[in-house]
Amino acid sequence: MAKAWPVPGLDRRTRFREAAGRVILVRWREMMSYRAGTEAGEDIEELHAMRVSSRRLRAAMDAFEGAFPRKEFRRYLRQVKAITDTLGDARDLDVATERLEELKGQMGSEAQPGLDGLIRRYLDERRQEDPRISALFAQLDDEEFAPEFEAFIETHTGIDAAAVELEPADAPTPEP
Amino acid sequence: MAKPLPVKGIKPKRRIAPNARRIFEVRIGEVYSYEGAIGDPANVTELHDMRIAFKRLRYLLEIFDIGFDEDLSPHLEQVKQLQDLLGDIHDCDVQVPMLEEHLRWLDRQEADAIGALVVRAPPGERPDDVEEAYESFRASLDATRRSDERAGIHQLLGRRRRERDELYARFLGEWRRLKRERFRADLERSLGLT
Repeated sequence: MAKAWPVPGLDRRTRFREAAGRVILVRWREMMSYRAGTEAGEDIEELHAMRVSSRRLRAAMDAFEGAFPRKEFRRYLRQVKAITDTLGDARDLDVATERLEELKGQMGSEAQPGLDGLIRRYLDERRQEDPRISALFAQLDDEEFAPEFEAFIETHTGIDAAAVELEPADAPTPEP
Repeated sequence: MAKPLPVKGIKPKRRIAPNARRIFEVRIGEVYSYEGAIGDPANVTELHDMRIAFKRLRYLLEIFDIGFDEDLSPHLEQVKQLQDLLGDIHDCDVQVPMLEEHLRWLDRQEADAIGALVVRAPPGERPDDVEEAYESFRASLDATRRSDERAGIHQLLGRRRRERDELYARFLGEWRRLKRERFRADLERSLGLT
């Protein structure tokens, strides 16, 4: 599982609203860093990492909800939830298929046709998820969700999104 | 899924810890609000809701750890363990009805294929070779049958039901251990709630 990116600039003295801005913006960027890989669809781990990051983002938004005006914040939270749910449907099918493939080795020959049939069904359903994921990303672009969301967080936390330091957890360590 | 209760009295311009304490107080209460229901393994919804409550608590411990002097990681490990167990129980609770639905889906697939085969059969014409026509029809009919797929699905169903029983017993054991070890009181003390 992809590690959470560290959130620089936090300590015990940090104000709640400032922490809200830093954590949410880092989690947002972390999630979106997996977008290209998820859209490419060549490695199922990219989608998995994006889904895990989206859950971290949701958790951060739940934790810091009190720093924002409730009604507007709920609208953004719903959109992030839609991202998690859409990615989750695809991921659940990826996991189910993987588990069935593993189980095939542990179960007898009489069970194989049933497992194969179920795997075929899940793969069919999984193929139908790709257009839903593409539609979701297209909707985010059409509605200019990213700049609007970042501006909202900036306004209510005083954190400049462009100045937030990012330390991707999976980035290669630079040579000394 | 139960919605989280609203947390009142957050003061965004204050530091993390005093605000986090208000949030923890509500979320810990949510976890323990399911205590009366989890003794019955049939309470699928309550077990699922408790998993969500544990998940919220787990993320709070991760996010707000930076605001507290005391190391919260031992509490985080306990919460993760319970959340994982409840997650595995939930997986079984989701998969069992999915597999049951798959058996019904196989029935429908079979019925549809047989229906299509009957519709394709030419009405009222007696074939020259009745025996050959019968064998051909029978072969087509056999090809539509999905009965060989059912055995594996029934086996999977059995496995998932057994796993669910084992996981539930483990969960209950862990929950009782936390109670004995006064987990809640320890956590609340670490957070400065008592």
